[in-house]
Amino acid sequence: MHVMLVQSLVFGILVGALYGLAAVGLSLVFGVTKLLNVAHGELLMFGGYATFWIFTLYGVDPFLALPVTMIFLILIGVIVYGLLFARMVKLSEETKIQNTLLVGFGLSLILQNLALRLWTADDRGVTTAYSGWAFTLLGVRFPIVRVASLGIALAALGALHLFLQKTYTGKAIRATAEDWEAASLMGIDIHRIYLLAFVLGTAMAGIAGALVSVGYSIEPNMGLEWTLIALIVMVLGGLGSIMGTFVGGIVLGVTQALTSCFIGGTYREVVGLLIFLLVLIFRPQGLFGAKER
Amino acid sequence: MLKLERINAAYKDLQVLWDVSIEVNEGELVTLVGPNGAGKTTTLKVISGLLKPTSGSISFQGRSLRKESAHKIVELGISQVPEGGKIFTGMSVLENLELGAFVARARQDKDRTLKWVYEIFPRLEERKNQRAGTLSGGERQMLAIGRALMSKPKLLLLDEPSFGLAPILVDQIFDMITEINRQGVTVLLVEQNVRAALELAHRAYVIENGRIVGQGAGEDLLSFESVRRAYLG
Amino acid sequence: MQKKGSQVSKKIAISITIVLILIATAALPLVVKKDSTINLAILVFLYVTLSSSWNILGGYAGQTNLGHAAFFGLGALTTRLLWLSGRPFILSLLAGACVAVGFALLIGIPAFKLRGVYFSIGTLALAQILYITVGNVFPMITSLPTQALITYQLVPRYYLALVLALLTIGTAYLLVNSRLGLGMMAVREEEDAAESLGVSALQHKLLALSASAFFAGLAGGAFAYYHVGYYPQFPFTPVWTFDAVMIAYIGGTGTIVGPIIGGIFYVVVKELLALKLVELHLIVFGVLFILAVLFLPGGLVEVWSKIQTAFARRARGQEAQAALPRDTGI
Repeated sequence: MHVMLVQSLVFGILVGALYGLAAVGLSLVFGVTKLLNVAHGELLMFGGYATFWIFTLYGVDPFLALPVTMIFLILIGVIVYGLLFARMVKLSEETKIQNTLLVGFGLSLILQNLALRLWTADDRGVTTAYSGWAFTLLGVRFPIVRVASLGIALAALGALHLFLQKTYTGKAIRATAEDWEAASLMGIDIHRIYLLAFVLGTAMAGIAGALVSVGYSIEPNMGLEWTLIALIVMVLGGLGSIMGTFVGGIVLGVTQALTSCFIGGTYREVVGLLIFLLVLIFRPQGLFGAKER
Repeated sequence: MLKLERINAAYKDLQVLWDVSIEVNEGELVTLVGPNGAGKTTTLKVISGLLKPTSGSISFQGRSLRKESAHKIVELGISQVPEGGKIFTGMSVLENLELGAFVARARQDKDRTLKWVYEIFPRLEERKNQRAGTLSGGERQMLAIGRALMSKPKLLLLDEPSFGLAPILVDQIFDMITEINRQGVTVLLVEQNVRAALELAHRAYVIENGRIVGQGAGEDLLSFESVRRAYLG
Repeated sequence: MQKKGSQVSKKIAISITIVLILIATAALPLVVKKDSTINLAILVFLYVTLSSSWNILGGYAGQTNLGHAAFFGLGALTTRLLWLSGRPFILSLLAGACVAVGFALLIGIPAFKLRGVYFSIGTLALAQILYITVGNVFPMITSLPTQALITYQLVPRYYLALVLALLTIGTAYLLVNSRLGLGMMAVREEEDAAESLGVSALQHKLLALSASAFFAGLAGGAFAYYHVGYYPQFPFTPVWTFDAVMIAYIGGTGTIVGPIIGGIFYVVVKELLALKLVELHLIVFGVLFILAVLFLPGGLVEVWSKIQTAFARRARGQEAQAALPRDTGI
C-alpha cells in the first residue's frame, strides 16, 4: 500500500511536469497579449501528432524530432496569430478576452476536426524501442520515457526563464506584459512582441504535446481537457512566474494521483476542476496575477 | 524641431484637441500648461504616436510623424515620460533603465548613457538592483526620467513630473529638468504646477478645453492677466 | 402619415407570415411522410430551442455561458430516468426542466460573482464536472424498453419539439419586450450603470439564467423522449454548448430570429455537407463562426437587415435613413 502510494505520487509528479509545460505557454500568451487562447489544448495536440507523424513516416526518434515539432508549431502559431488573433489585440480588454474566447472555440473545433480527418479518432502514441524501459528504486517504478520528459520539461522551462530574464527581447516581453503603453514608449514594437509571445506559447505547447505522445497517448478530442488543465494550473500557479506555474502543474498532477488512489481514477479530472472553481469564486480578482484587473 | 499644425484629435467620438499648433525649437525648454482635462496629456500622446490625430500635420526635424508608430518615433529621438511615470514595477531599477535603451541607436551607447544618467540621478545607482515597485514616489519619477534619457532623446516629453510629489522634491525634479535641458536635450514640459513651470521655461503655451489660448515667453505669461487670475490666484 | 400606414401594413405582413409558418409546420407531418424529413425538422426545432434558450442569458443579458450543456443534460437525464421508471412523460419533462432550473439557481449566485470571461470559463468547468460525474455514475447505455420501441412514433416527437421551440421563442419574445428584458439588456450594456439606475444586476442575471436553464432542460427532455438509445453522458458533452453558441452567433445573438435562422442554417448545411464530406461540416462551421465573431457581430440577421435597408433606400431614395433596431426588433 505504501509503495503504491509513493508510486502514484511519482506518476503524479511526472505527468504534472507536462501540465506545467502546457500551462506556461497559455499563461505567457495571456500575460503578454491578454488573449485567452482556448485552442491551446488543440495546439498541444498538434505537437503530439507532428511527433507521431515524423516518427511513423520517417522513423525519427521522438526526442530528436523535438526541434522539428517546435518549428512546425511555431509556423502554426504564426498563421493562427496573424490570421485571427492579431485582429483582436487592439480591442478594449473586456471585448478582447470575450472575442478571443469565442474565436478560440471556433479554432479548436476546426483543429479538432482537422485532426479527426488526418489521423482518425483512434488513440495514437509513439512507441519506440525503449518505450517499455523503466528502472526501479525502492520498489517504485520510473519509466525511462516519462523521466526523460520531466527532464526536457524542466530544460524547456529553464531556457524560457533565462530568455525572459536575461535577454533584451525577454525583458521587452516582460515590460509589454506589465504595461504595453509604457513599453511602446521605450521604442518596443509591441505587435512584434505579441507575435513572439504567442509563438513561444505555441512552441511550449508543441513540446508538451510531443512529450504526451511519447509517454501517454493522443486523440483528436484531447484538446479541451488540456486547455482546462492549463487553465487550472495557470490559476494555481499565478501569472508571470514560470516556476510558480511549474509547481502548479506538479500540484495538479499529484492531486489527481491522490484522487485516483483514494476516490477512484474516474474522478481525477473532477478534482482539478473543483479546485479551479473554488479559486475562481474566492479570489476572482487575484486570479491571473493581482495586476490584471 | 517639433512642429504641430492645426492638430485635431479624438478618443472615439469625443474630440479632445481642436486646431492645436505648437512649435518647439532645438535646445529650448517649452512648457504647455493648463487645467486638468484641457488636453495636455492628449497632446503628448499625439506627439509620441500613442494617439493618431484626426487631422493636422506633425513633424519632427522636418519629417512627418503622422504615419509613424510609437516605437518608430522613439527611434527618431522623441522620448516621453508618461503621466505617473509608468515604470515597470515588477522589474529592477537597472532593468527599467536598460529597457529605456531598447532602440538600436541607444543600445550601442548603453553603458555610457547609463553613467550619465547615474550622474544626474545618483540615487538610481544606489538602488539599481532593487525592484522598481519598492521605490518612493520621488525615486519613481527619477527612474521614469532616467529611463527616458536612456534612449538618448533629442526631444524629451515630460507629463506632469511634479504630480503627487512633496514641494522639496518638486524643486529637485525641476532643477534636474533644467540641468538636462542645459546639457542639450530639448524639453517639452506639461505641467499643472503653472508658476514653477513658467519660471523654468523659455517659452510657454496655455491650453484650455483642447485649444491653445495663449503663448509667449515664460516670464511674460507669468504676468499675463488671465493666467494670473486663473492659475496663480 | 404614410409612414405610419406602412408600419401597420408591415406588422400585418409579419403576422401573416408567422401564421403561415405556424400552419406549415403544424401540417408538415400530415403532408410529408418521409421519416428523414421529420427527423430533420425535429433536429431543427431542438437546436432552435437550445440556442434560443442560450440566447436569453448569452445574447440578451450578455453573460457568455459556456456550460449550457449542463442544463440540457440535466433535463435529459431527469426526464429519461422518471419517464422510463413509469411516470407520465409530461410530468417527467417538467421535472427535468425544474431540475435544470434548480441547478441554475444553485450555481447562479457563486457563478455570477464572476464577470465576463471568468464567468465563461467557470461555467465551462462546472459543465465538465457534471459531464464526467454523470459518465461515472451512469456508465451504461440507456435504451427504450421493447414495449416502448414497438409503439415508438415519430409524429408526437415532432409536435413536442415544435411546441417547445414555439414556447421558447414566444417566451423569449415576451421577456425581452418586458421591463425585465430591458433590465437584462441594461445589465449587458453596462452593469455598473444599470446598478446605479436601480436595476439589480444579480436578480436580472439570475432570472435570465433560470429561464435559459428551464428551456434548455425542456430541450433535454425532448431529446430523452426522442432518442432510442444513448449514453446518459452524451447530452452533457460540451458539443451541445458550442452548437448552441455557434448557432446563436451565426444567426445573430441578442435577436429573436437569430437562433431560428441559425438553427435552420446549421441543420441544413450540416445535412448537405455530411452527405459528401463527413466531419468537414464542423470545420466549415468553425470557420463561419469565427468569421461571424470577427466581422459580423450581428450574424445573418444583420446581413438580412442590411440588404433590406439597401433595398428600402433605393426604393425611397435617400429619404429614410432610420436607425436599425438591433435589440428589440423581431
